[in-house]
Amino acid sequence: MYRAGNDIGGTFTDTVVINEETGEWTVGKVLTTPTDPSVGAMTGIGAVLEAKRVKWDTVSNVVHGTTLVANTLIERKGSKTALICTRGFRDVLEERTQKRYDLYDLLFEVPKPLVPRYLRKEITERLLADGSVLVPLNTAEARQIAEELKREGVESTAVCFLHCYRNADHEHLMKSVLEKACPGMFVTCSADVVPEIREYPRESTIVANAYTGPLFSIYLSKMDDQLAAKGVGGYLYLMLSSGGITTSGVAKLRPVYALESGPAAGAIAASFYGELKGFDSVLSYDMGGTTAKMCLIDKGQPSTTKEFEVARVHRLKAGSGLLIHLPVMDMIEIGTGGGSIAWIDKLGLLKVGPESAASEPGPACYDKGGTEPTVTDADLVLGYLSAGYFLGGKMPLNLPKARAAIEERVARPLKIGVPEAAWGMIEVVNENMINAIRVYASAKGKDFRAYTIVAFGGAGPVHAYNLAQKLGVEKVLVPLGAGVLSALGLLMAPFTFHLVRSYMSPLDRVDLGQVNQLLKDMEKEGTSLLQQAGVDPKDITLQRSCEMRYIGQRREIEVRIPSGVLSAADIPAIETAYNNEYKRLFFRTYPGYKLQCLNWRVVATGPRPKVTLKRFPSGRHTIKAALKGTRQIYFPEFKGYRDCPVYDRYKLFENARIEGPVAIEERESTVVIGPGGHAVTDEYLNLLITVGGK
Amino acid sequence: MSPEFDAIRLEIYWNRLTSIAEEQARGLIRTSFSTIAGEMEDLSCGVFDAGGTLVAQGATGTQGVLTGLSMGVKEMLKKYPAEKLAAGDVMIGNDPYLFCGHKYDCCVATPVFLKDRMVAVVASVLHVPDIGGAAYTMTSESTFEEGLTIPILKLFKKGELNQDVVDVIDANVRIPQEVMGDILAMVTANDIGMQRLVEFMEEQSLSDLDGICAAILSTTERALREGFATLPAGTWRSEAFMDGVDDMLKISVALTVKGNDLTVDFTGTSPQTRRGGVNTPYTFTLAYTALSIKSALVPYIPNNDGFYKVFNMIVPPGCFLNAIPPAPIIHRQLVCRPIAAAIFSALAKAVPDKVIADGGTPTMQVFYGTDNKKAMFFQALISSGGTGARPNKDGYSATCFPANIGTPPVEIIENVSPLLVAKKEFVTDSGGPGKYRGGLAERFTIKVNADLPATVNSAIEGIKTPAQGLMGGMAGMAAEATLDGVAVPGKGKYVIPPKGEFAFSMGGGGGCFAPAERPPEAVLDDVINGYVSVESARQHYKVSVDPVKRAINWEETRRLRAA
Repeated sequence: MYRAGNDIGGTFTDTVVINEETGEWTVGKVLTTPTDPSVGAMTGIGAVLEAKRVKWDTVSNVVHGTTLVANTLIERKGSKTALICTRGFRDVLEERTQKRYDLYDLLFEVPKPLVPRYLRKEITERLLADGSVLVPLNTAEARQIAEELKREGVESTAVCFLHCYRNADHEHLMKSVLEKACPGMFVTCSADVVPEIREYPRESTIVANAYTGPLFSIYLSKMDDQLAAKGVGGYLYLMLSSGGITTSGVAKLRPVYALESGPAAGAIAASFYGELKGFDSVLSYDMGGTTAKMCLIDKGQPSTTKEFEVARVHRLKAGSGLLIHLPVMDMIEIGTGGGSIAWIDKLGLLKVGPESAASEPGPACYDKGGTEPTVTDADLVLGYLSAGYFLGGKMPLNLPKARAAIEERVARPLKIGVPEAAWGMIEVVNENMINAIRVYASAKGKDFRAYTIVAFGGAGPVHAYNLAQKLGVEKVLVPLGAGVLSALGLLMAPFTFHLVRSYMSPLDRVDLGQVNQLLKDMEKEGTSLLQQAGVDPKDITLQRSCEMRYIGQRREIEVRIPSGVLSAADIPAIETAYNNEYKRLFFRTYPGYKLQCLNWRVVATGPRPKVTLKRFPSGRHTIKAALKGTRQIYFPEFKGYRDCPVYDRYKLFENARIEGPVAIEERESTVVIGPGGHAVTDEYLNLLITVGGK
Repeated sequence: MSPEFDAIRLEIYWNRLTSIAEEQARGLIRTSFSTIAGEMEDLSCGVFDAGGTLVAQGATGTQGVLTGLSMGVKEMLKKYPAEKLAAGDVMIGNDPYLFCGHKYDCCVATPVFLKDRMVAVVASVLHVPDIGGAAYTMTSESTFEEGLTIPILKLFKKGELNQDVVDVIDANVRIPQEVMGDILAMVTANDIGMQRLVEFMEEQSLSDLDGICAAILSTTERALREGFATLPAGTWRSEAFMDGVDDMLKISVALTVKGNDLTVDFTGTSPQTRRGGVNTPYTFTLAYTALSIKSALVPYIPNNDGFYKVFNMIVPPGCFLNAIPPAPIIHRQLVCRPIAAAIFSALAKAVPDKVIADGGTPTMQVFYGTDNKKAMFFQALISSGGTGARPNKDGYSATCFPANIGTPPVEIIENVSPLLVAKKEFVTDSGGPGKYRGGLAERFTIKVNADLPATVNSAIEGIKTPAQGLMGGMAGMAAEATLDGVAVPGKGKYVIPPKGEFAFSMGGGGGCFAPAERPPEAVLDDVINGYVSVESARQHYKVSVDPVKRAINWEETRRLRAA
């Protein structure tokens, strides 16, 4: 039997089909079909199956990653959506935090709320902070609101009441009224999707869920039907932002969980390779056309965080987007990819990105009318890319156009030579990444120098060596087929459900009866969701944690808590665990200060699917057979160009050793290694690079 | 640009220093102990060279503390120059006249040593939740009544906590754990910044920050002067008013541009107020003058000391923008809005497309009392008015300007205090009408859900002086305060009875250009969404709207607009 992974990106839809018995996998790329992405997905899978002469009905299941939910939000193409909220609070969504994300920009802009004010309906009801009812929900009003929404032609409704994270009754009552009065309407309650304290992040998230819900469920139903019609017996699974997978049935109700499914798949694949090679600490580095994503992975477990933004007005400015408060793989994304444009700012300084030449017109060297110098142009000018072997030679690059763009827009204004300008662009790109990764790693209390970089995406292998050198990282792994690694990651993800409940209490006065009940409820819910997805109960792992802080603090730290029924005897251990973690992050603890619990979490996980990789027999050959020739490549160590060998990656074999300076080419990318560095291949043709000294 | 720092090197170093300061600020938010720091982010962090010149600052924070910190670190180094500092020392201070203008803003600075030589200072400032005295009083006649002054002292000596300082602070504040927790959080944040800075300097083999500092400052200065040079030569004058405590206060400003020099002259401004603390020290006036000029002319340059050097500010001692100690000073934050309003309305005469209309004043109300479990509570609530309309778009509703502080989540307020937020909603018609409309004010209604009364120290500004419109735009709604439905003066101490209600609003933003120029479709949209009433649409915008049909009555609109 076979499994298929299918990842829909902005430009391309990637497919990986894997033979479950042999582990052999085959990849394919087709153009994305934006009007109906399911067309591209089905064509993409079909094409790979056909090439392998494999029948549809031998495919046991399909795992899908998609940018559809994110694009619906970015392009504002969602459903006509309403919000029902507690009387007196309909403007929470619009006033956000009341802070501006830029101190000086008088013309700043934030995204308009997804629900206009006239569709934000207030209802008489009120809960108190402990979940008790101050004012019961007025059901007559509820029915009246339902009628109004029907008249307005509303397709989807979010329900979000104050303190519902402690008591979901009012939200559920409202939902049942709506379902009765408005059949076919998509209704989603914040207590079901994101039951956490702080009204603005919760409301922002549930509104995004409502806004994308109808389209996404129609889309998934269509995929379900098409796959069934082809004879695929198993489920359609969706990759979630958190790195887990779930069935299309669950995903239809919670589209916001799948917002970042593509990037998450990449990090999963990087963890797989880390484990395969026995690396405890991996820094995944995925650089594509418009952005670069990085993620620190410890012991095969990418960590998750609980907040991110989508559709930012300013890509690099936190606070300028729609806030989504849900578990997401804890990674950083910066606006520098192969297509990022270099420019000189008003202070006369060189900047790169976040503007991207994208695929139209593309970098100047694509010769499709682009005149702005991009990172890809710099790569070509510096000899990192070959003009004749881009995408395996399918797309010749124009070197003079690249040089002219850099000359005109960078070299001349800065009064420096073209190679120096091109190298300057690469340095600025690397520095952007280093700055981003520093802030990110230090917030997690991690020292990235101890990590091994796993580089992928079209531009990742080109830049990884230099980045590693700057970061002080010693080892870089470039898997074979790095260009489609995200799609492969889809097939490596376990089923995962993240559950959360808010219960705020001082740790020393916590009501253990209540805690045990909510943990039990969450574990029951997680187990049942996994069982519905076909996971054997004995393969289920349940992991508990609690977000805590010193009383008075406003930001929490997540601490693991023991399984089983908690008793008073467990409290000191939890306190110690918190203090240890706090000290690791912030150098000191606060003796005598009491702790407060806030959010309780359970992560329910199924087994990780087994993937084995194809082995390449050790060579009778010498690496001479893999030598394609030489070309002039720029390295800062030489302060200029040198004639360097260029190898064909597909002609390498196990245990081949290649000394830098060198370029190693494969269809989707090129690996560049500087002087002093070297690479050794393993039995899967992965390249393990050792970075040379400065 | 100095020769050793070409455009690429400077960009890389500058970015790195800014990201170190930002990292420091993120660490401070995570480790702080009060709502004001953690949820509202009233704090700032910076990296200074060994001489105390501010090189880079995090993007987080408000200008008042940004500038105050920069000025304060220089004072710290006057008292403790390099030869009196050792590795492991940490300095603290909150003198309102030397630092940020009120004592809540405590500054903590840590000298950074590299191979036994002091090479830099990293510093943080944060608004602690209490500093003793008569919290946010409106009756103080000198700053001595406004809480504890911490002179410039060493909080740590060679890594050892100076317990004497801690004991003095503990004995003077109502919530010592939160206050000391916040102060130690700044020490932690500085440690983060120090660690990163040392790594950076070692990696780049830098023995000091002098060269990079000079390059950053000269680049900033050059860009600013180029910005000034785009202004036509001449002098523009303007005035702005604020309620004050007893008497209304006037800010007079004259902006003079000569070549690429700019002078801001506040001569003619009202004298300092005797009672209530609506006064500012020089540093705070400098902060918001710099913010106003920078926002209008060069918003894209990261903040550093280059700013304060290039324009000339004249502010006569003894006027309320340059109060003489020991004048009360605690409510200096109320003054940032009229400073910006005065400068923007003067600049509007030269560069009308670069400034925005006046807006509502962000302020803080402090509620305190005893809950039903006999526990004391002390809760500060920040709320903002609408921002002024911009020359090409509307203002934002309930958004903080020119300060930049968030509003605390209702669910957090209700979890940590017996306060019940009954309403938090925009007020229809509160945005000043204009072709571009001012942002709407928000009305915050607080109930006391306890058996005992609670007290609020209220500091609401703009009741008598609503935000003015620009270039034909109209004023926004004035600020307001009511106790159990009865209007009260906004500044004072009020006792809210059990189950009683205190409501306040910070006022709407002013509009830009005449309201009759607003496209009728935009007015219709405003009416449908309840930002503007049918009556105001007709009266101010000259648009006739049928709210039931959600349609414009075009014929009548043409008639109204023709009249």
